[in-house]
Amino acid sequence: MKTYINFTFALIVFLTTSSFQNGDILCDSKTLKEKAKSALGPYKYDSSELTRIIYKKTETVKEIEIPLFIGEKYRFIFNLEALPKNIEIQIYNKDKDSKNRKLLFSSKDGGLDRKELQWEVSKVRQVYINYIIPPTEDGSYSGCAVFMIGYK
Amino acid sequence: MKTTLHLISITLFSFCLTRCGNNKQEENTTPIEVTDTIHQQKDTVAIEEDDETTYKLPSALQIAYVSKKSGAPFNESILNKTENLTRYNTSNYKRAVNFGVYSSDLANCLFNKKYQESKRYLKALTETGATLGLKQAFESDKLAERFDKNISNEDTLVQIVSNVQLKTDNLFEQNKQKHITVIAFAGAWIESIYIANQAYAQQKNKKILSSICEQLTFTKTLIKALEATKLKELEMPELLVSISEINNAFYNIPSVKSATENDRELDFDKMKFTDTDIIPAMELVKTLRTKMIN
Repeated sequence: MKTYINFTFALIVFLTTSSFQNGDILCDSKTLKEKAKSALGPYKYDSSELTRIIYKKTETVKEIEIPLFIGEKYRFIFNLEALPKNIEIQIYNKDKDSKNRKLLFSSKDGGLDRKELQWEVSKVRQVYINYIIPPTEDGSYSGCAVFMIGYK
Repeated sequence: MKTTLHLISITLFSFCLTRCGNNKQEENTTPIEVTDTIHQQKDTVAIEEDDETTYKLPSALQIAYVSKKSGAPFNESILNKTENLTRYNTSNYKRAVNFGVYSSDLANCLFNKKYQESKRYLKALTETGATLGLKQAFESDKLAERFDKNISNEDTLVQIVSNVQLKTDNLFEQNKQKHITVIAFAGAWIESIYIANQAYAQQKNKKILSSICEQLTFTKTLIKALEATKLKELEMPELLVSISEINNAFYNIPSVKSATENDRELDFDKMKFTDTDIIPAMELVKTLRTKMIN
């Protein structure tokens, strides 16, 4: 019985220490997505994604490929509340391996400290979201970014 | 006292374990040079490329919404019968692919104001969803009651189904079942193209054909999403082969091939198609759909 209690305690401690390391933020996907959904306005919900962002000693890029219907209007919502350090969001018309890709949106333009961003687009068949995760000297820690797509 | 010491040592050990794990991760980073437009402005910086590109495919609701706008008429007899439901509790793949097929059928009924049929398909979807661990998404917020109460209000019903979609997205994410969403998309997408093609065969309406072609452009992302997850279910490599065949048949249509090779925008409203151009791709869609629902 005593061994069982000790084991349970150790497991709880392990899970807690894994989650709350220096600078880590727990991601409450449901709350973040509810906030994003309220910003969709007249657009119908299509899909959403929670991306785990891990800050490392070098800059990293996470890419999300999204095919769209060319005749539709879309609103993209980003919620970055659960990030311990600002990241940059870039949206391109081609993937990160293409040399002649065009930058359609950068969060740099309105200031990197915004926690909620909106972007609207139409007449595009494909977009590539790039999360540019800055390097950190303070060791590895993480947070998460949420994006949501609405259409009309 | 002995127990307290024991617990303290376990705590310290656990903490050490988590810290050590991270250091190892940091050591594995490989610095490379990036040459896209933004980074050209910087000096060469050490950037770790994250190979984990993810793919976000559209919902069955959006596909049906676009298809409806093309003027495709509703024909209940071509949808997958809800009575077939009992056949699908044989594998994760079968459940997921038909979850997608029924999602597409439900969306089709909704956007064509066939509310009693919508109710039937919602029930089929609820049952298939339960076998995929999605019971919570369909049970919460008195879904069936709200659906009944708003049975003739399209906007509210679409809103209700969109909310279910968000909940299922969350559950798939929580349960780490990303590959299931890819399989479900394949089912919804095949069903939608199949339905549109049946309408096109009857009406020869150019707008419906354009809508079919728009949907077919999704093969490229679908193939990449399947490639990334193909080992998760036994049937996935075969599905990947079938989708690749559809992709090849579509991109071999002369006007599509020429536009792609010359890097021209694919404008399906203006492109010229003969009646037979689309047939090989549509035959493959029909074969795959038959395999999925049987």
